[in-house]
Amino acid sequence: MTLRQNQIRAILALSGWAALAATALPAATPARWIPVLLYVSLGPGLALLYPQPPALRPGARLEALALAAPLSLSFGALVSTCLFLVHGFSATAFLVALAAFSTVACAFPGLPLPAATRGAVERTKRVRREEG
Amino acid sequence: MQHRVPAPARGSAQQPPGEAADERADGPAAGARRRSVPDLMRPQILFTWLPLATATALWVYSLPGIDFRHMDDWGLIDRLPAAFYLSLAVLTGGFVVSLRRAGTAPWWPGLYSVALLFALKAPTSILYDSVRYPWASKHDAVVNHLLANQELRPGVPLSGNMAAYDQWPGFFTLNAGLVRAFGVDTAASYLNWAPLFYGVVLIPVLVLIYRTFAEDWRLVWTGVWIFEVANWVGQDYFSPQGMALILDLAVLAVVFRHFVRPGAAGELRSRANLDPAAASVPPPTTGRQRAVCVAILAPLIAAINFTHQLTPVMLCVALFALNLTRRYRNPGLLAVTAVIMLIWDVTMGRPLFVETLSSLKESVGNLLNNSRAGYAGELTGPGPVLQGRADIVMVLVVAVLAAIAVVLRRKLVKSALPLLLVSVAPVPLFAVNDYGGEMLFRVYLFGLPGAAFFAAAALVPAAAGQGGGRIRPVVRRRVAAVALPVVLALLVAGFIPAYYGKERMYYTPPAETAMVTRLLDSAPKGSMILAVTGSFPQALHRYDQLEHWYVAEQEEPQNAIMLRDPVGYLEPQLPRDGRPVYFVLTRTQDVYTAGEGLLPAGGFAELRSKLEASPRFRVLERTPYGEILQYVPPSPT
Repeated sequence: MTLRQNQIRAILALSGWAALAATALPAATPARWIPVLLYVSLGPGLALLYPQPPALRPGARLEALALAAPLSLSFGALVSTCLFLVHGFSATAFLVALAAFSTVACAFPGLPLPAATRGAVERTKRVRREEG
Repeated sequence: MQHRVPAPARGSAQQPPGEAADERADGPAAGARRRSVPDLMRPQILFTWLPLATATALWVYSLPGIDFRHMDDWGLIDRLPAAFYLSLAVLTGGFVVSLRRAGTAPWWPGLYSVALLFALKAPTSILYDSVRYPWASKHDAVVNHLLANQELRPGVPLSGNMAAYDQWPGFFTLNAGLVRAFGVDTAASYLNWAPLFYGVVLIPVLVLIYRTFAEDWRLVWTGVWIFEVANWVGQDYFSPQGMALILDLAVLAVVFRHFVRPGAAGELRSRANLDPAAASVPPPTTGRQRAVCVAILAPLIAAINFTHQLTPVMLCVALFALNLTRRYRNPGLLAVTAVIMLIWDVTMGRPLFVETLSSLKESVGNLLNNSRAGYAGELTGPGPVLQGRADIVMVLVVAVLAAIAVVLRRKLVKSALPLLLVSVAPVPLFAVNDYGGEMLFRVYLFGLPGAAFFAAAALVPAAAGQGGGRIRPVVRRRVAAVALPVVLALLVAGFIPAYYGKERMYYTPPAETAMVTRLLDSAPKGSMILAVTGSFPQALHRYDQLEHWYVAEQEEPQNAIMLRDPVGYLEPQLPRDGRPVYFVLTRTQDVYTAGEGLLPAGGFAELRSKLEASPRFRVLERTPYGEILQYVPPSPT
């Protein structure tokens, strides 16, 4: 794990808490809504997708960029709906749940999307052969 | 054709006197900096960035001149200044030029595509001082309802089937979180920006899908461009379907890239069997890898089911279509998707699900009814009529272009068949249900990503000297050189009437909004609110405490009967238990019922004057934007 990767992971791990801290600022100010919007739209997804394994095939970066927002919005919708279902909804609970999720996700490698590595099946076989 | 002559390494007699001295003094770094300035002026690069800068300047200049407050019959079409139209033309020209360098600098057409999104859809977001689309305020009302109740009540019946929003609440709960976290009063403060947000999030997903099937960046970005201009259908407003479409396409993108079965690509593994613009088939994956991928997709699929009723059905239909191919036969994924959908349908969504199932008996097979738009009276007025025609022309142009590609670029169709299948898959849903008069728009929307890709393939020729067919490559390239800019310009021109022709119905003046809000805030709980149509701002404010009846939202012949004697028609159906009944008549309702042909010409004014003249209604408030009447029940004898 390179230093740069660890720095990015640390930023992603803290981003949700930074968004939470921003909610202490005056209502509806850009300094408040911009970090919240950026985090809810991208944070959890990037935390899940980063870092990807080395030897990426072309397009893997594009894939992470494209899927970050859909994944983040999905988790936002799932978390907020569950909070409503358990009668525990508040902005703080919403952001704390997402931020905690992102922090945990950052501790793990990126989602193992199989074809993101060169050759998928062929690669698995090659790795096994090397191991054997 | 320009040829660059390499400059001599050291001082030359032809070099300007000061230049060599400067280079020596500043060192190599400064030399590199200076070299980059003339680079920007090289014709090839100049014509890449200059149109973008010019179009941006023209667009910004045109913004204050957009007179949206005084729209008449033509909607926003004749209120957009010439500079606005010119900026679109320059942008289109710049996009076509940037495509020439798309192979080495794909970010330029990408920038143009984002700029097009903003150019087309940002004016209303920036300028409007109230909610665009009266029905967007319905979704704002749902968010407010959730925040006020702090819980979901999927089983509590609400007037106008509004309980469906508690049954598929994902989009609204997410926005409830955002409203509170932003610290704004309601989602109305940001909902006009939804088309831009959705557009920006959708572009990378589209690019990901298109890149899975095409290596040629020109084809990819032309597809994105066509998608943007053909997306006039207006489903990307502040709505669950806008978000669900993005999630749906994200799932499909992952499926396209990671669910190829080993050994299933066959002859497509050989480059010789692929169209020159096509991408290689993604590498195959093992059963275990695909199972892991299903687990990764599960939250996305669940979120789609939390968010919207129809999109999970569309996703299942698309996955079923993919199962018809050898390459993407993944019954496990289809089963998981269907099970997640059914679990949600029989738990949270049970009331509407059961109701829809029971109504299917009547709607199945009724193709004519299921494929019509809304209550569909005759569009009336130059703007709405032009918009209706432009919509049809846009659909036809994209469909014809896609059909041309399907016929002429068979190799590309073969490798991109999954995308074609996914686009065609929703069409049979016409045979099932009309989805409240919206099925036509939804099927179009879900088919558009694939249609735009193939339409682009008809316009972007295969790489020089390659590709089959009877037409010589030189002729094909020349035809494409003319057809590409012409068709893209025509599509951009067609977007304006197709999207802004009915704009007078969509802009809701703040004074009208305030009048409606005042009434609905003060109406006692249980009151009945009558209106000609539900298409007015804040129509469903406090919808869980008030009952609604939009009297003209019915079949046209019934409206003709109602107009003859409105009070006699309405009175028998009004509550007799002493609850107050109000009739709200607003300017937006007038514009909407006239434009959509719900009432005949002058019908709204006739209805209004008959209600005013009746002793059964008394006027509570009258403003230039509408009036509020209260029903006076007959005194008991």
